Amino acid sequence: MNWRTFILAVAILAAALGLAIDKRASAATPDDKATPEVAVKIDNFSFSPATITVEVGTTVRWTNRDDIPHTVVSDDWIFKSKPLDTDEQFTYTFTKPGTYGYFCSIHPKMTAKIVVH
Amino acid sequence: MVLIHFPIALCLVGVLFDFIGQWTKKPLLVDVAYYDLLLAAISTLPVVMTGLLAWHWQLEGQRLKGVLLLHLVLGLTASGMICLVWSLHFRAHRNPEAKLPLYRVPIELATAVVVSLTAHLGGFLSGVNGSG
Repeated sequence: MNWRTFILAVAILAAALGLAIDKRASAATPDDKATPEVAVKIDNFSFSPATITVEVGTTVRWTNRDDIPHTVVSDDWIFKSKPLDTDEQFTYTFTKPGTYGYFCSIHPKMTAKIVVH
Repeated sequence: MVLIHFPIALCLVGVLFDFIGQWTKKPLLVDVAYYDLLLAAISTLPVVMTGLLAWHWQLEGQRLKGVLLLHLVLGLTASGMICLVWSLHFRAHRNPEAKLPLYRVPIELATAVVVSLTAHLGGFLSGVNGSG
C-alpha cells in the first residue's frame, strides 16, 4: 500500500463519516417537534387577535387579508416586514420571552402585542 | 398628513376660478386663480418631501409595489402637473398683454383628474375612505 492509496482511503472514510453525521443530525426522531405556529390576521385596519400569548420558539405568521398594504414592525424594531400586499405573509420566530408590542408603520394606530413566555 | 390638503384644495379651486373667470369674463377671478395655483405649487414641495421622507423612515426605502407604488407615481405626477399649470398662468401674469393659452384648459382638467385620483387613493391608503 503506497501513500497515495492511504490518503485516498482516509479521504473517502472522512467523507463517509461526514455524511453519516449530517444525515443523523437532520433526521427527525420521535422526540422532535415541528416549530409551533400561530396565525395573526391583518384585516380592516387591525391585527386579529390583538393580543396573543405564545411560548418561546413559536413562529407567528401574519397574513394580510386587507385590501391595502400593511407592515408589521415591533416597537423596538426587532422585527419588521416589508409592505405586505393582500394575501402576503410575514413570519417571525420568538426565541426570547417578553412582551412584544408591534404596529403597522403605514398606519401607526394599528397596534397589537405578543406575550412570549 | 394635514399638509396634503393644501395643494389638493388650492389646485382644484384655482382651476375652478380660472374656468369661471374666463367664462364670466372677470379678470379678478383669473387673478385669484393664479394665486391659488401659486400657493398650490409651493405647497407641493413640503408634501412631496414629507411623502418621500415617510417612505424612507417608515418603510426604510423598501421597494414599493401595488397601491403604494401607484400612489407614489400619481403623487409625483400630480405635483408636476400643478407646477406646470401654475407656470402657464405665471407667463400670462408676468405679461399683462399676454393672454392665457387655450391649451391650458385640457391640461388643467387633466391635472384636476390626476389630483383627485391621487387624493382618493391617499384617502384609501390611510383608511379615511374606508377599506371597501
